[in-house]
Amino acid sequence: MKEIAVFGYNRLSFEAISRIDTDAHQIRVFDHNPAQVDLACDNGFSASTLDFRNDEDLKTIGIGSSVNTLLCCFEDDSENVFLTLSARALDKELQIIAIIDSPDAAEKLIAAGANKIIDPYQICGRKIHDMLKRPEINDLFDHTVFGRNDLHIAEVVVSETSFLRDIFVSQLELNTHYNLILIGIINKQISDQMHFVAEEDDRRLNSGDILVILGPSREIRAFKKDMNDELCKI
Amino acid sequence: MLSRFIVYFCYHIKSSQHYKKIKYYFWNLLENENSKSKSYFDLLMIGLIFLSIFLQFYYAGHEFSFLGNIIESVILIIFIVEYILRLWVYSDTHEIILAQYEKSLYLKIQFNIRKAFKLALAKKITYVLSPYAIIDILAILPSYRPLRILRIFLIFRLFKLFRYSNSIKLYAEVLASKRFELLTLLMFTGFFLLIASVSMYIFEYPEAGSDIHNLFEAFYWAIVTLASVGYGDITPHTLSGRIVAMILIFTSVGILAFFTSILISAFNEKMPELRENKISTDLERYHKFIIICGFGRVGQEIAKQLSKDKQNFIVIDKDLNNINIARKLKYLAIHNDASRNDVLLNAGINRGATAILCITGDDVVNVYITLTGRHLNKDIHIISRANRHENQNKLYQAGADNVILPFEVAGLLAAEFMGQPVAFEAISGILQEQSDIVMETVPVTEKSPLDNLQIGLLDLQQRKLSLLGVISANPIHLKHKNKYRVKQQHFYFNPEPNFILRHGDILVILGRKYGISHFRNQMEQQRLRTKVAT
Repeated sequence: MKEIAVFGYNRLSFEAISRIDTDAHQIRVFDHNPAQVDLACDNGFSASTLDFRNDEDLKTIGIGSSVNTLLCCFEDDSENVFLTLSARALDKELQIIAIIDSPDAAEKLIAAGANKIIDPYQICGRKIHDMLKRPEINDLFDHTVFGRNDLHIAEVVVSETSFLRDIFVSQLELNTHYNLILIGIINKQISDQMHFVAEEDDRRLNSGDILVILGPSREIRAFKKDMNDELCKI
Repeated sequence: MLSRFIVYFCYHIKSSQHYKKIKYYFWNLLENENSKSKSYFDLLMIGLIFLSIFLQFYYAGHEFSFLGNIIESVILIIFIVEYILRLWVYSDTHEIILAQYEKSLYLKIQFNIRKAFKLALAKKITYVLSPYAIIDILAILPSYRPLRILRIFLIFRLFKLFRYSNSIKLYAEVLASKRFELLTLLMFTGFFLLIASVSMYIFEYPEAGSDIHNLFEAFYWAIVTLASVGYGDITPHTLSGRIVAMILIFTSVGILAFFTSILISAFNEKMPELRENKISTDLERYHKFIIICGFGRVGQEIAKQLSKDKQNFIVIDKDLNNINIARKLKYLAIHNDASRNDVLLNAGINRGATAILCITGDDVVNVYITLTGRHLNKDIHIISRANRHENQNKLYQAGADNVILPFEVAGLLAAEFMGQPVAFEAISGILQEQSDIVMETVPVTEKSPLDNLQIGLLDLQQRKLSLLGVISANPIHLKHKNKYRVKQQHFYFNPEPNFILRHGDILVILGRKYGISHFRNQMEQQRLRTKVAT
């Protein structure tokens, strides 16, 4: 189970954590403002007051050990930068997602060690632009992948022992076997570039490849289960 | 009998579509400030004026050559035709006559054709006596041989530029708007000049060896000194004369400063109006554009994306700082309150705008703009921003087609990223067209090769494309599984090979941009070919 620490309780962090799958993630909310902590508790989240300036306090909640993902949601950019810096110093592998208010803060957060920057205004602007430019695709994703319908994106890693190793992409045929669509393959160790399967069906799968798939959650679960089943063959 | 014939003729003209069309055409060409043809016509006339002035200078003191004569005659004919057309377009004589006729019918009195003609003539004379028409006639008359003496008035052709050039017109308007101040200054200056020149005359004239021999010379000296030109051809020799000169010099500095400040303030006041005029002329050129109300962070991002797509848009914001940012980026921008009817109307809500984006940081303002926009245009696409969740429904009630909550969207993306970082980056790269692979739609049109085709027979794999699914409102597909409701339609995810496409369906395809557009074009070409064949 992944452990997520959310710093700063506000509209944005509320939206984010209420959409995270609680079966697969353990979420804890921290804020230096007791009023916000009370609000988070009232909304049913596990929340506590914490001073993010103190490294010892960060260690006690599991940063540098058990926490996998950190969401920096303070409204003040400087606080997010400080928290990112402190957390990165404690854990080199921690995945840090930070929210920004001013666009200038993006570079500073990246320099401080954040993995992903979320600029709500930029995202909103792009979304509106998308609504104008490609209304069908926008509606489709709003109602399915980003909506309440059961259609999700998922990533599946091809492990050393997986039966998928060394088979051709064309042999996968996820759309007939699983009702899943394979969008692409990424190998983070080589590059961030996604390989589009329709173009590279003669590609052999290697360990470390990440398959990006789209489909209903039941099918995704079934595929992930079969991946770990050494006896299963496509 | 004659009057009956004239009335009949007037009714005939009134009902003639052909006559109306021709008159409208010339009105458009000569008087309609917003028409494109007028701007071309104005340019042509400016060229002709300069050509005619050039000819006058070139042949100054000589007879025109044969070619010069021809050019001059052509220009003159154009000027005369233009004058006559303007006179014709200015008023509708037949309307005036008919109004008089109908009035007399109603009052049951005898129709007096002379009176009607007098009224019509009076209207035309009003035009003839208007400043522009006088300039026009003065530009024509000197070319008439018996009036050669009036050649000096050919310079009036330059004044004709007033009619065609907006910037000269603007200068005249600026001066006119400060009539009162300029008149006051003129009276003061005149009064002062009079005192200065008279006292100069009194002090200097009796002196032996004086430069001033009459009152005119004293007046000339006063003007040259006041304008701070000071040729030095006439100088005061007496002490009193020099004192007058000193007072005049000091006062003239004040007068000139006052005059300059009047002009500057007039231009400053006129500036916003000028900008708005420029914006509305620019908008006239666009057939489709988007109105962005609010140029904060969200508005700036949208504008950036739209300008990348070379889409036209106009920005409205109350905040001058935001407007200055927009102007710096060379976007069309209006500094005003977008919730006002007249502002949205001026921004072209009913003249080519396809969508309004109400995206200020204040939900109250967004609701009000949405309401105003919907009230002014029932069909326009309105996208509004709600900063608080509870205001989402209010915006829908006000008439928004889509409502977007920045924090919800960002929160959702943060959640997706936390769950599946790699997959999310891949999908968002595709959706935001940051990668080479894009997701696009291909519509199935009637008689297209896709119509009634089984999905299994689509050769997408060979085209290096992937089919994600089909969007359709056709109830015939409802029997298929894997369907998701999307507004009034269904999305059929990963359709089976026996899924038969119908016209009106939309294929959602993943692939390279040019691969998808090549596929789309081929389908369209084949459709047109079959259409021609049948």
